[in-house]
Amino acid sequence: MSIGNVSDFEPGQILRALEAHHVRYVVIGAIAAVAAGAPILTTDLDVTPARSHENLERLVLALRDLDAKLRSASAPDGVPFPIEAEMLASAESWTLTTRAGDLDLMFLPAGTQGYDDLRRGASRERIAGVTVTVAALADVIRSKEAANREKDSMQLPILRRTLEQTRERGHEQPGLER
Amino acid sequence: MVSGDLLREARLRAGLTQAELAQRAGTARSQVSRYERAEVLPSLETLRRLIRFCGLDLSFRLFNADLEEHDATLIAQLLPLTPEERVERAVRAIKHVYAA
Repeated sequence: MSIGNVSDFEPGQILRALEAHHVRYVVIGAIAAVAAGAPILTTDLDVTPARSHENLERLVLALRDLDAKLRSASAPDGVPFPIEAEMLASAESWTLTTRAGDLDLMFLPAGTQGYDDLRRGASRERIAGVTVTVAALADVIRSKEAANREKDSMQLPILRRTLEQTRERGHEQPGLER
Repeated sequence: MVSGDLLREARLRAGLTQAELAQRAGTARSQVSRYERAEVLPSLETLRRLIRFCGLDLSFRLFNADLEEHDATLIAQLLPLTPEERVERAVRAIKHVYAA
């Protein structure tokens, strides 16, 4: 997908590729917030994969299937890079574009301790035909608070409001290990 | 977000256990737990003090009440849907926005 070509954004295809290769990850960010009921929009999928070597090897296979490239404003079709476990392990985050849309890998989202931390409060949800692990809205808020980016700050009031209304209705998920 | 959520968020962001925060604040772990579970509502000053022991501070902002009401209505419309339906709807909406 060319950068900015939102018409190709199919988060379900990305999730199916990750599931097909048994990648361990948690869906975070805006898609997790949307799944929880937040009325926000996004053009990318953010996930936090587990950092074990075995999992990175599985992630490599999924990223190759998705024809993942580095996202770059100066290269609309993305920049090819060697998709290897060692390469993925060398950075805290990867901003990618794939044939099914933009994908951000964030091994250590701000304000969290990564996969194991986020998985504790996460729930298993069906999205686009696959059952995936989705971060708790409270944890999405925690991370966006810590990131302290302007775009996150603008979303925080509506995310907090969503959490409040979810709790008022008793809809909040208990979490996998909380 | 209620005070218990704020306190828990601050504590987790600081990487502290309830016991560690209680020790810093000179209170009992059980009291921190009660605050986080909203069994006891701390005063604003107590909440701010505990959050400061996490190396953070509280800030306050005022928002237009009409916008908040609008947001609440949107959320109320989405909550009866399944997560899958919410995501499908959001993806359709963003494509529509960009296609327009």
